[in-house]
Amino acid sequence: MSTAPSRSASTPPIPARRPAVRWHNLGTVVGFEFFRTTKKPRFWIATLAIPVVTAIVFALIFVSNSSTSASADAQKNAALSFTYTDASGIIPEAAGRAAGGSKAANPEQALADVKAGTVDAYFAYPANPAAEPVQVYGADRGVFANGTYEAVAKQLLMLAAQADIGSPQLTAAASGNIKVDTETYRDGQASGGFGAAVPPLMFLVLFYVMIILLSNQMLNSTLEEKENRVTEMILTTLNPTTLIIGKIISLLLVGLVQISVFLAPVVIGFAFFRDRLSLPDIDLSDVVFEPGPLMVGALLLLGGFLLFTAVLGAIGAVMPNAKEAGVVFGPLMALIFVPFYAISLILSDPRSPIVQVFTYFPLSAPVTAMLRNGFGTLSPAESIIVIAELFIVGVLTLRLSVHLFRYGSIQYTGKLSLAKTLRRRPRESAGK
Amino acid sequence: MDFGDATVIRDLSFDVRAGETFGFLGSNGSGKTTTLRALLGIYQPTAGTLHIGGKPFEPSDGARLGYLPEERGLYKKEPVLDVMVYFGRLKGLGKAQAKAWSLDYLERVQLADKAAANLDKLSGGQQQKIQLGVTIMNAPELLILDEPTKGFDPVNRRLLMDIIEEQKLAGATVIMVTHQMEEVERLCDRVILLKDGTSRAYGTVEEVQEQFGGTVYRVGYDGVLPHSTLYDIALDSGGYAELAPRPGAGQAAVLRELVTAGAGVSSFTTARVSLDEIFIRVYGEQDQPAEVRP
Repeated sequence: MSTAPSRSASTPPIPARRPAVRWHNLGTVVGFEFFRTTKKPRFWIATLAIPVVTAIVFALIFVSNSSTSASADAQKNAALSFTYTDASGIIPEAAGRAAGGSKAANPEQALADVKAGTVDAYFAYPANPAAEPVQVYGADRGVFANGTYEAVAKQLLMLAAQADIGSPQLTAAASGNIKVDTETYRDGQASGGFGAAVPPLMFLVLFYVMIILLSNQMLNSTLEEKENRVTEMILTTLNPTTLIIGKIISLLLVGLVQISVFLAPVVIGFAFFRDRLSLPDIDLSDVVFEPGPLMVGALLLLGGFLLFTAVLGAIGAVMPNAKEAGVVFGPLMALIFVPFYAISLILSDPRSPIVQVFTYFPLSAPVTAMLRNGFGTLSPAESIIVIAELFIVGVLTLRLSVHLFRYGSIQYTGKLSLAKTLRRRPRESAGK
Repeated sequence: MDFGDATVIRDLSFDVRAGETFGFLGSNGSGKTTTLRALLGIYQPTAGTLHIGGKPFEPSDGARLGYLPEERGLYKKEPVLDVMVYFGRLKGLGKAQAKAWSLDYLERVQLADKAAANLDKLSGGQQQKIQLGVTIMNAPELLILDEPTKGFDPVNRRLLMDIIEEQKLAGATVIMVTHQMEEVERLCDRVILLKDGTSRAYGTVEEVQEQFGGTVYRVGYDGVLPHSTLYDIALDSGGYAELAPRPGAGQAAVLRELVTAGAGVSSFTTARVSLDEIFIRVYGEQDQPAEVRP
């Protein structure tokens, strides 16, 4: 067959195809896929729902904490009136008076006073507080405020112990109320401890967020062409590898947009309203950023994302519609949570067979390896093997996904026969 | 081309010349769409290749191809203009160029007001117009149209035929699958007739007509139509018949045979055998084969 070398037409003149046409097409696919997702109102409704809810919760906490703070101040100024009996004889009367209490002569009368509301509480200290419980009777102030009675009763015992020991330090040690700073060493260097585990574990959080948010879109990325009957137009217009890689990149970008939107209120809240929002007082100076685990975490995240995207793309290319794809989709997603069944072993005994299986089985490897990387039990050799495995299996699965899309997505109504499709030879080796 | 144990296309080989319009004819299930898909690499052929200008065809090798598939479809949840610009860019146009071309085309096919509408808000015929636009927007050198007028009303069919004819006049080589013989007679330079995956006729329209008798005698009669060694009865509907003369049987000899046999001839005219008649003759021989899909 031959065609005219040139032609004049009413259609616009077409530039000669550039050598970089594949990159041009990749950019076109990424742009089209990214903007058609992010231009849709429903994308922003779904994406903004989480930060909006977070902001509302923060606002409620803010308002609530303001009123709680005011009432706490009021409570602090309001003295607790109580009576007590002391069968042990260890409570110094001066301490009781200082706390606003007075010794009761008759337990029944003391209890009657509480019931009558003439005093707030009555504490009955037993002969041996180490063996028997202290009985506390109080006027009901609500579940949380009632805790004040127990706190005051215990405080009196602490004061008694301190008076007897004569040393606040020993009293604190005896009560276990002491702070311990631990420093450990690995290969002669101080290791970061729990503070060093946090940054690499953030890649695990990112992995989960991206998979949970984007897995459905990954699945639909190859189903959509089939369901819209657009496969033939695509296959005769651009290379399917370019299409699928473009879709993966656009998904990654969409995921980053969503994560940024989700994190924005948390970051703003932490930076400016930490005290008012009761956010955990994380001392960022304790967080250690170790380059090795960070790099391993990033590569595990990328490899895992590549693998799962390719697997979901392959499923989309095989299945005729989203409904049938969903049957396979559920169990596959469960696999990323399976390592958590062995979380205690992963943390305490990484050499155990089950942890080793989870570390090297491709679909459980990202989560297991990221956990072990975070807690410092993934050796450099294991890191290299798992990262290489994820990228190799990911690329092979991606190629399979492209092959299935090329030869399978034309099968619009039925489920693709994998065996038949895989028997198809590459075009170059087809007979002439 | 095999699907499992079934051979769907056998030893099919044909040339399409630069700048011509080539008709791909056949009944349902005769292998037309399968042949096109195999040529374009959508199906992997058991053997064989499409060569364009002497080189094996690859979708991404830069050939300016326009393909309107039998299974129509675009991204239904996207605006018309966005989809057209997307495909325009994939076909090598700049963004502004693709947008300008698309707006002009929408104006021409009276869909300018639908540019911002999602494709699924358009009727089937309107969606087909968009798909044709996407197919031709890169001024393809090779235009492959699989039943391009399927589902069109007569007015839009004429518009579509005009657009295809413009592409032809502009120098495009057109391969067209169709069941509409008037489209073939209007547009096609040469045709191939497929049946059960093999070629039954191949050449110019005149050559194919010649292969199937070339001339036919249309006879009005009111008696009994006799059988004869001079002709075959191509059609007999009682009172009207079409006779395909055998080699050497002239008009006068056939008329004399009819009169002698007492057929009561009321009219007798000579015509070329139509493509419709050839189609019925070829595909009416036996039940049509079932559609085979991989």
